[in-house]
Amino acid sequence: MGGLVEDQIRRAVRSLADHDLVVAREVIRDDDRVDRLESEIERNCLTLLALQQPLAGDLRVVSTILKIITDLERMADHASDIAKVTVRLADEDWIKPLVDLPAMARLAISMVRAALDAYIHRSVEEAMAMIRLDDDVDHLYAQIFRDLVDLMRDRPETAAQATYLVFVANYLERIADHATNLGEWVVYMVTGERNELNT
Amino acid sequence: MAAITMERVSVWYGRVKALNDVSLEVEPGSVLALIGPSGCGKSTLLRVLNRLVERTPAARVAGRVLIDGHDILAPDVDLALLRRRVGMIFQRPVSFPFSIFDNVAYGPRLHGMKNPHQLRRVVEGSLKQAALWDEVRGKLRRPAHGLSGGQQQRLALARALAVNPEAILMDEPTSSLDPGSAARIEELVVHLKGQYTVLIVTHNLQQAARVSDFTGFLDRGQLIELGETSQIFTAPRDRRTEAYLTGQFE
Repeated sequence: MGGLVEDQIRRAVRSLADHDLVVAREVIRDDDRVDRLESEIERNCLTLLALQQPLAGDLRVVSTILKIITDLERMADHASDIAKVTVRLADEDWIKPLVDLPAMARLAISMVRAALDAYIHRSVEEAMAMIRLDDDVDHLYAQIFRDLVDLMRDRPETAAQATYLVFVANYLERIADHATNLGEWVVYMVTGERNELNT
Repeated sequence: MAAITMERVSVWYGRVKALNDVSLEVEPGSVLALIGPSGCGKSTLLRVLNRLVERTPAARVAGRVLIDGHDILAPDVDLALLRRRVGMIFQRPVSFPFSIFDNVAYGPRLHGMKNPHQLRRVVEGSLKQAALWDEVRGKLRRPAHGLSGGQQQRLALARALAVNPEAILMDEPTSSLDPGSAARIEELVVHLKGQYTVLIVTHNLQQAARVSDFTGFLDRGQLIELGETSQIFTAPRDRRTEAYLTGQFE
């Protein structure tokens, strides 16, 4: 599920940059696969809780999985949202060259990748290192937001597209937040400590 | 002040050390569950607290045990009085070959209560506290042996409560009961919380998790870890506790 969600985000961003409607529609369609995986994993976790009654480290693994599949599903929703923007803007030329947005996307995707690696390796260090990247994403988001607002003020005819691009930046920022949650759950799974690590 | 304090308590059965340097405190009115593999010393620990352990031949106890600040290992301790203050429920319900009424009245009579009205009041009160009253009212003169296992276990609890103890020790109190009867005993433990200090030994980890405020894990006579039950069952600090709870065997 993690691999699929990561791929969904990657393809959604690429579809936007390339005006690729085919890929965008695939992403929108594949969101159902993510939803199905979420309910299947959730069902398996509940069965484990009911039949095996796991404790201690085992309990933390199962509860971590239950939590991160929600974050993953939300990330996939945002990937699908970005793909929908691709569809909306398919026939438009860019009001400005896309530079910061792809940079932000790369950073967000690398966080998702790193969060999944940290989970697989059960590595607190990897999770913490990944969580620190969220600040960079937030800075980029603030910058993109400012630039687009300036653009809308100077050239009101760009407002429609600029608004969609603000949405995209916001989706990416949310994706990075969900990746941060993943990292925090990995720390909990390994240590039993449940802290907000990026406040 | 802690209801029960153990300071560096060790127990030997002949040359075998069954309990090794155990120190702990139990808060008044709390429920402490003791868990651990068979032979880890948890039942021995309970039996130190009412000095039942001395009944085992060649048993020797070292260390200090305070109940409400009084050293119960002192040589001049009145054992009958101690066992009034510290009641015990065993794995198999023990009922005396008397009537239901006389089973519950046994303790109060032993401690000098003669007034029939007073005895009746205590018996009724104890049976109510043990959630048995509704099932036996009007049948108090019948033999206790006619009761089911679950009812006899609640009768044993009523008998313990009748002498108004400070602490109640339970040694696997539900392991011979069906799930429904076990659930009733668990409910009682939760209900008694606050009024009595309860120590419960159980092999049923879910039961320990459900009823207790604190959990202690013992292994080979040592108290490995004691903490709030929620902490022990979600994030134990010692890897041996973790291994036991997740079913890993060494």
